[in-house]
Amino acid sequence: MNFDKELDARGLNCPLPILRAKKALNEMQSGQVLRIVATDPGSVKDFEAFCKQTGNVLLSHAAADREFTFYMKRK
Amino acid sequence: MSEATPAQLAPYVAGGAFMLAFIFGAVGNRTNFCTMGAVSDWINMGDLGRMRMWLLAIAVAVLGSSGLQLAGVVELSKSIYTGPNFTWLSYLVGGFLFGVGMTLGSGCGSKTLIRLGAGNLKSLVVYVFLGIAAYMTLRGLFGAFRVGVLEKVAMTLPVAQDLPSLLGLNRAFLAAMIGGALLVFVYVNKEFRASFDYSLGGIVTGLVVVGGWYVSGSIGHLAEDPNTLQEVFVATNTGRMESFSFVSPLAFTLEYLMFWTDKSKIITYGIASAAGVVAGSAAYALATRTFRWEGFRDAEDTANHVVGGVLMGFGGITALGCTVGQGITGVSTLALGSILTFAAIVAGSAAAMKYQAWRIEREG
Repeated sequence: MNFDKELDARGLNCPLPILRAKKALNEMQSGQVLRIVATDPGSVKDFEAFCKQTGNVLLSHAAADREFTFYMKRK
Repeated sequence: MSEATPAQLAPYVAGGAFMLAFIFGAVGNRTNFCTMGAVSDWINMGDLGRMRMWLLAIAVAVLGSSGLQLAGVVELSKSIYTGPNFTWLSYLVGGFLFGVGMTLGSGCGSKTLIRLGAGNLKSLVVYVFLGIAAYMTLRGLFGAFRVGVLEKVAMTLPVAQDLPSLLGLNRAFLAAMIGGALLVFVYVNKEFRASFDYSLGGIVTGLVVVGGWYVSGSIGHLAEDPNTLQEVFVATNTGRMESFSFVSPLAFTLEYLMFWTDKSKIITYGIASAAGVVAGSAAYALATRTFRWEGFRDAEDTANHVVGGVLMGFGGITALGCTVGQGITGVSTLALGSILTFAAIVAGSAAAMKYQAWRIEREG
């Protein structure tokens, strides 16, 4: 999947991945896609809740090699 | 049980605490129960789902604990929370610093144990620093400051500090009002009602605290120790009736490991409960194939977790408990100091999150 910006949240735990994602999204235009790579197992539920609350769209998320990859479209 | 000795009862107390904590660890892992996460969801995205889970745990604990009290099974005034010595500055400072610490350290004491069970090695470092700082606050350098400065600022109340005593109201009435109001606030939300995990996490955590009171206050209670003829709560570190708390037990676990050959040291309620949470979380993680090793990202990440552990150790002892110890177990006794500490922890955690957001914004 194509993306416009990437956020490396590997090794970070709640609440830092959310805070860094908020900053990254603030610097993007509406419709652009942010790719996030995280290692915190809690990040899946965190980003689902984050998108539900903020209106950004979680396009997909997948887990592989102990990493979680999210694609999020800015509202 | 009245003819039993403390030595005979101790395994039942420790075993009961372990089993309840095991359940808490497994359910906490499954449901992502996290008091710091509750504050984070609220502050950073306006989501109250996990805060409602925490409040549901409090509601269940308040109703259940008061039920045990009214049934004559336990006597909540024999815990550490309800005495008339109202150390308000300690509650505020300790609670606030604990809140800051749990944000820096990726979670409170119980979440540290849950993360550790799931393979997070950062949490092992937090555990050690939290335990050492807690011990230093109980008996060491930090303890001199706690006792000599913070606890000097206190009020001696004319009655016990639980709300029924302070307000002169019936405990059953107050518990029903507070517990009922919390239940209404929690379940008025449609999304909360639709989530099985939210209810599971809140209800089980509350019931575990109630069960904890039963284990220590009923199974482990001897009105008269046959050896000393004194009342005793078996296998407790405080000598009082206990339920779950996750600061001093981490210190006493380290002490137990370091003084292993000292035969006067036993596996207490608190030590068993800390081990139980780790075991329960690990069992769930292994059963669901979600166990994974995690380590530090960089030097700043390491420093944050070390400082977070120290702040939680100092703050948790100073405030007489953590998000579970004061925030659920203490509040279940309706102690004013527990409610004050709960508010201070939330404030400290929120302040630390605002600081983190400010720092990230400055990074450019």
